[in-house]
Amino acid sequence: MMLSAIEMKGVTKGFKNKPVLTDLDWSVPTGHVVGLAGRNGAGKSTLLQCALGLCNVEGGSVRLLREDPADLSDVVRAQIGYVPQESDLFEWLTATQMLAYFKTFYLRWNQAKVDALMHRWSIPANTAIRLLSGGERQRLSIVRALAHDPSLLVLDEPVASLDPAGRRDFLREVVGRAVEGTTTVVFSTHIFSDLERVAMDIALLKNGRIAVSGPLDQLSEQLRRVEGPSAVLADARWGRVLARSVDRDAQTTLIVVLDEGSEEKLETLADEGVRVQTVGLEDWFIAATQ
Amino acid sequence: MRASSTSLFTITTGSGEPIYRQLVGQVRRLVAGGQLAAGDELPSVREVAAQLAVNPMTVSKAYGLLETAGVLERRRGLGMVVAQSHDKCRPLAERLAILRPTLQRAADETAQLEIDPDVALQQLGKMLKGKG
Repeated sequence: MMLSAIEMKGVTKGFKNKPVLTDLDWSVPTGHVVGLAGRNGAGKSTLLQCALGLCNVEGGSVRLLREDPADLSDVVRAQIGYVPQESDLFEWLTATQMLAYFKTFYLRWNQAKVDALMHRWSIPANTAIRLLSGGERQRLSIVRALAHDPSLLVLDEPVASLDPAGRRDFLREVVGRAVEGTTTVVFSTHIFSDLERVAMDIALLKNGRIAVSGPLDQLSEQLRRVEGPSAVLADARWGRVLARSVDRDAQTTLIVVLDEGSEEKLETLADEGVRVQTVGLEDWFIAATQ
Repeated sequence: MRASSTSLFTITTGSGEPIYRQLVGQVRRLVAGGQLAAGDELPSVREVAAQLAVNPMTVSKAYGLLETAGVLERRRGLGMVVAQSHDKCRPLAERLAILRPTLQRAADETAQLEIDPDVALQQLGKMLKGKG
């Protein structure tokens, strides 16, 4: 059996009577790179915080690297790296001072990597953090999270304030760690091109639950846009319909996750005016979260 | 010869075609067209992953599939090389089979855009002669 880096069962969490997570099950396999998608306000940050034990769950159970997140051993704690969406990184310190401070908490600290990243990402080392730009702070937060070579890296919208070149370089750094398959990476994002590049698995948070979870390639291969006469497409028996739209000419457009082996069935409908196209993840996201 | 990793692969995201398939397709085309010859070494999984900023598992998967298909073979100490059986340009039928999906896509889009097939063909003809 595959061991899970994060295992959540029946997790419930709300704020002021507003449910955010409801009876949520989620399992993050060790060594995988998992992209967490969901609309604004779906509760992605809350989910990640609950997984890390940074907020208390009202119901259900969470296992983080096979321990209770509320009572982590020092060994496990030292294996976790976390980049929050908004980081309060000791505003009055310089980057060098802040990193030196964090270094004291860890037995393992990869100074060579810290120095290399600080240089490569052009982060001012001796300026007070409060004077850094949004992108510089975000990069610094990432450096801090990578410095102790964590085996579980959790990133909440890590690239929101990075430009495309910065994002690319960040992705390289993150996936470089996945080569050995021992580092688990979970990141939430809105940027599907990033997700497509580096994620092996995708998880979609919707209505307080993980609505879709699985290998990204598999999902891409099963996604189709199917267009044709409404009469022919009324009864779609070859997959799960995520979105359906009908126009006045009685033409129907579907976004479908095909069942296995149903591609041939669809091909036989070509004579009846049915056209099939592959679709990208962004279309899937829009259809799946409607 | 060692293929340079910077020029060998390009990928597009958002197309609906998984990245590993894009890589498989590109290697097949390069081998079929003779740009990669038998014994040529491919860049390592790590190099390709770093250059394209993609997950190394994706590159491994593509190489693995190409190995299974007999296009590539694993050489001790060298990594992946183009298989010996792929010494010459592949037969026409095989190369056509590789090109077919791309043409099919172009045909579909031509129909959707309601472009006259003859006009589309003319355009393709120009592109093939390098005047497009």
